[in-house]
Amino acid sequence: MKKLIFIFCLSLFSLNAMAQNDLPSVDLTSIDGKTIVLKDATNKDGITIISLWATWCVPCLKELDAINDIYDEWQEETNVELLAVSVDDSRTVKRVKSMVNGKGWDYTVLLDTNNDLKRALNASSIPLTILVKDNKIVYKHSGYSPGAELELYEKIKEFSK
Amino acid sequence: MKKIVILVTLLSNLYLINAQENGSFYGGLESNSQWLQTDKGLNFVAPEDQFRANNYVLMNYNLGKFTAGAQYESYLPSGLLGYSPIYDNQNDIATYYFNYKDENLDVTAGYFYEQFGSGLILRSWEDRQLGLNNAIKGLNIKFNATKDLSLKAVFGKQRYGFEESAGTIQGIDADLSLSGALNIESVDIQLGASYVGRYQDTNGNEALPTTVGAYGGRLDFIIDNFYAGVEAIVKDPDVIVNEEQISSNKLYDGTALQVNAGYAKKGLGINATFRRLENFSFYSDRFAEGNIYNQQVVNYVPGLTKQQDYLLTNLYVYNPQPRLIIESFDQRSGEVGTQFDLFYSFKKGTSLGGKYGTKLAMNFSYWGGLDAEYNIENRWYKAKFIGKGHQLFRDFNLEIKKKWSKNWSSVLTYQNVIVDKAIVEGGPLGKKSILANIGVIEATRRFDNGKAARFVVQHLWSEDDRKNWAAGVVEYNFSTRLALYVADNYNYGGVDKIHYYSVGGSYSKGNTRLGINYGRQRGGLICIGGVCRFVPSNTGLSANLTVAF
Repeated sequence: MKKLIFIFCLSLFSLNAMAQNDLPSVDLTSIDGKTIVLKDATNKDGITIISLWATWCVPCLKELDAINDIYDEWQEETNVELLAVSVDDSRTVKRVKSMVNGKGWDYTVLLDTNNDLKRALNASSIPLTILVKDNKIVYKHSGYSPGAELELYEKIKEFSK
Repeated sequence: MKKIVILVTLLSNLYLINAQENGSFYGGLESNSQWLQTDKGLNFVAPEDQFRANNYVLMNYNLGKFTAGAQYESYLPSGLLGYSPIYDNQNDIATYYFNYKDENLDVTAGYFYEQFGSGLILRSWEDRQLGLNNAIKGLNIKFNATKDLSLKAVFGKQRYGFEESAGTIQGIDADLSLSGALNIESVDIQLGASYVGRYQDTNGNEALPTTVGAYGGRLDFIIDNFYAGVEAIVKDPDVIVNEEQISSNKLYDGTALQVNAGYAKKGLGINATFRRLENFSFYSDRFAEGNIYNQQVVNYVPGLTKQQDYLLTNLYVYNPQPRLIIESFDQRSGEVGTQFDLFYSFKKGTSLGGKYGTKLAMNFSYWGGLDAEYNIENRWYKAKFIGKGHQLFRDFNLEIKKKWSKNWSSVLTYQNVIVDKAIVEGGPLGKKSILANIGVIEATRRFDNGKAARFVVQHLWSEDDRKNWAAGVVEYNFSTRLALYVADNYNYGGVDKIHYYSVGGSYSKGNTRLGINYGRQRGGLICIGGVCRFVPSNTGLSANLTVAF
């Protein structure tokens, strides 16, 4: 019984910790080299999807390609915005601009070359996709499998109400 | 140790009064463990500590403009195979910090991560897969002097295991938006300058310089769809250290030059990079030069080649060669080379595009040693700017991604690679090379409710080294949370026809992810259940758990 109470308290504790999840105050760089304050870049009236990706991460590219195909529909229905934050370090960051254009993505792309945001979100692996509302993190999902973008959209609609 | 106890107590107390304040507590846990098994087929003998684990717990507390945190690490009973042995049997608070940040000033005391420019002159960062954490313990100040000028300063010693480096690092960096300052609209110009110095006691040896400095400048500009940049660094003369021994009392300076240019507009992206390094290794302890565990490195010198996605395309990869060595058994002075990328999307509706469009990615890279003459008795050398040095690595690869229907999509990859045998096995460069051709076909079939199946078939043709390989992967996603896979990497052309089989799966929900694998791992990048990690070679059972809170 004591163990149950302990586990119950622990889960309340972690739920509590989760509920107070503010978006970390980190500075990123735009694809043109300007410093961007993350909190200023998020959507003011709607959900923001922040997706951590890299040019060498195959599932990240699959996820962003899949969302790109239906992005306009999503934006029309819910006014959602996607910030694609690249964690490419200086080895591969020069390929970001050409890859993003070569793929024809419509997202705002930000660079996290020294992995400050990746560290602040404690993301040990990518892709990591989070939903942000009023600069608070309301949903997190790590990894991508085909069809995950549809589940993500269900969550977006849920939080958009 | 007392300081840490006070810090942790403070953190927990602050958390308890959280409800009244506007603070937040966040962090994460990562646990990577393996149980190694002796495998006669692989000639692998399990070491004395068969069970090994690397564990990390990071805790941060943020209240307004202040943040504090600590990271606890444990490598018990030993660290994972392939990681630096200085971590074995240890566990302790590895890093801690205290930070103040507002719109113009960002100050950190304790352990911090920082980068100047591209990192070629200074970079401290953490990469757990590589076993690399060269955080600097000291003071980091970042200041936005004006809206166009930002300054950074660092001072401290680098982390080395649970201790600190022998040398002390000091550095300053300035970054100026020239177009912003001069109010130029049509072109975007950014200028940067850095100085990084290492001070290290010479223990009475007067031939050694106590401070070795590196001075760098960089310029980047963007005009419409075209962009280009250049970075150049010069390093003060220092001795060569090879395997912890000073080679001679002669001092040599070092240089680095990197030029990048590209063109990008919707549907097309081109990028090209040129880099030349001569005697360009920089460590916070001169005796750590050339160590294989990436310890005490002050800067970041990555191999500028494409990060490949599959088992067989990761067989022959390039390790950069910036070092100077003048010995009878080995002479080298640096590297020079280039990388080129092209990304193109065939539009939907065109003949090559098809209904959903087709994406093409082409990459080429070439790396060679510097063309130099060496005089071993006098320890003298002279290198040409480019010349015709040994070819160390040449890679041409092509990737075509296509979505055929709502349910089917595929990726076709071809690679032609030549690598110097010494890059793969060690030893003097320029003796023998390995040529290989690799083809990969990957197909994904989607079902309803997040179910999907992925099939990969790969083949490597070569008449060198271990000759031919064939590989395959079948992965099934039961939902967006659970995935299982079976893979085999078969070296049928080799003398011992070895199967590197593996089976495993992953489960992820919200903030938690658990991955389990069993089998023989040939080191490289493996993607399971939607996540990619670097896996070192071993036979056994491994588990990876991450929880973010």
